[in-house]
Amino acid sequence: MLRRFPIRYRFLAPLVVLLALVVAYPLGYSVWLSLTDRTITRPETSFVGLEQYGSLLTNGGYGTAMRNTLVFVVFAVGIELALGLALALALQRQRWARDATRAFLLTPMFVTPIAVGLMFRFLLNGQLGPIPAALGSVGLSVDFFGTALALPTIVAIDVWQWTPFMVLLLLAGLESLPRQPFEAAKVDGASAWLTFTRVTLPLLRPVIAIAILLRALDAFKVFEYVFATTRGGPGDATDTLQYLIYRTGFQFFRLGEAAAMGFVLVGLVLLLVTILYRTLLRQEARA
Amino acid sequence: MSRGRGTFVAAACAVVALPYAWVLLAAFKGPAALNDPGRLAFTPTLENWREIFSAGVIGSAGTSLLVALVTVGLSLLVGTPGAYAISRFRAGGTATRFGILLSQVLPPAVLVVPLFLVAFTLDVRDTPQVVIASHLTFVLPVVTWFLIGFFDAVPRSFEEQAMIDGYGRFAAFRLVVLPQVMPGIGAAAIFGFVLSWNDLFYALVLAGGNAKTLPVSIAGFNTFRGVELGAMCAAILVSVVPVMLACFFVQRRLVRGLSGGGLKY
Repeated sequence: MLRRFPIRYRFLAPLVVLLALVVAYPLGYSVWLSLTDRTITRPETSFVGLEQYGSLLTNGGYGTAMRNTLVFVVFAVGIELALGLALALALQRQRWARDATRAFLLTPMFVTPIAVGLMFRFLLNGQLGPIPAALGSVGLSVDFFGTALALPTIVAIDVWQWTPFMVLLLLAGLESLPRQPFEAAKVDGASAWLTFTRVTLPLLRPVIAIAILLRALDAFKVFEYVFATTRGGPGDATDTLQYLIYRTGFQFFRLGEAAAMGFVLVGLVLLLVTILYRTLLRQEARA
Repeated sequence: MSRGRGTFVAAACAVVALPYAWVLLAAFKGPAALNDPGRLAFTPTLENWREIFSAGVIGSAGTSLLVALVTVGLSLLVGTPGAYAISRFRAGGTATRFGILLSQVLPPAVLVVPLFLVAFTLDVRDTPQVVIASHLTFVLPVVTWFLIGFFDAVPRSFEEQAMIDGYGRFAAFRLVVLPQVMPGIGAAAIFGFVLSWNDLFYALVLAGGNAKTLPVSIAGFNTFRGVELGAMCAAILVSVVPVMLACFFVQRRLVRGLSGGGLKY
């Protein structure tokens, strides 16, 4: 019986079955939930169509969370890219303690994010933290989790943990570039800056696109830092989509609404993938 | 120019090292030293370590280990042949590849609500099983994606030669191709392990009680009974040290895996 199927399907089948079970089935269930008014506290559930999605448009808290998330993603990924590129370039030429330096600088990406959030919560804490204490000794008083600075602080925490990821990918990209264009630029007497903008950056573009894509997709899911430090506050200054969905679903138990919020996030993520994938493919077609 | 570069790298190392140093010291500080950030000298104590033993942190670490090992084991068992079929025969076509990429990028917020309800209906809330199921949603696609890249890098001529020598398809896969991708499987396993070991979101929602994992336990030091800073730092060390040691050995292979084989290091 089994022998009638080619080996390729026998190899693929378990994967497809398991993915269907743990991903496709919950996903379908989630679509259905987002079309209902399901809550845990009330037993009866009714079909409400797109009402949950419609109500998100007028939900002020949701709008704020969306704006905070977009600001977070743009700034975190932008800073990580710039810093990561600078570090990758510096590390490419570094000779002394080369492997040890690289290995050490990459470690933050392996620390569990809740621990990173909590570490910075207390490092930056007004009473217990060494950083405000050090700033205080030179007469500076900074409230890192106040209304103005809370979101930038969370961006900074993300930068601490995930810049190494950018370095890892960009350094690999830099070291796999062909030598000839650089030698030609040198022969032509191009300056370091000109070589960087006209040779390095264009050659590195596909790698940069992959790095931005992987980082941005992850940054949209930011949860742990908010959960560890501000819990969305002060007010709603650091409320992000993933954190709002957590509260809506599992503190207020409005599961239908939480599912609908999730799918808007999926839409955003797919839009981003499509845009970046297209720019990536166009580049490859030209090359 | 060169001096500027050196300073930049040194500054980056210092920024990375500062939080580590603080956690390492705080794990051995008593309450008085913790409440006074300006003071540098302190008498080391093992009080925090006694505290985490009695607070069940070791039990959570055991749960985390069990969840991560089973999740990675299942992912490799199912993902390795699947990735081979996709890489060699383009089995399932673009749809399968895209499906794997898509499940890798799905925000957990979308899947957690139905998983929570299913766990509720089947009465398996707060068990390692339900956390394993939720971790499979992201570890399985990532591990498969990694392995597709590694299988792509094995030349077809290897198996063709093996089959000319009289091996069947399956024997060629097991005895010729599989040993070639063993380093890749190792890297994928460690990466998958770290993803599962570090997850907070699913574990927090699906198992906050008896079956809580280490990250949930660490988060707990911040919520209940005020903050127990020293114990929290000790628990963080329990979580971080094994992972860092493991990752140290595979970082080079991570690059190829993450980019789906598109990049070599």
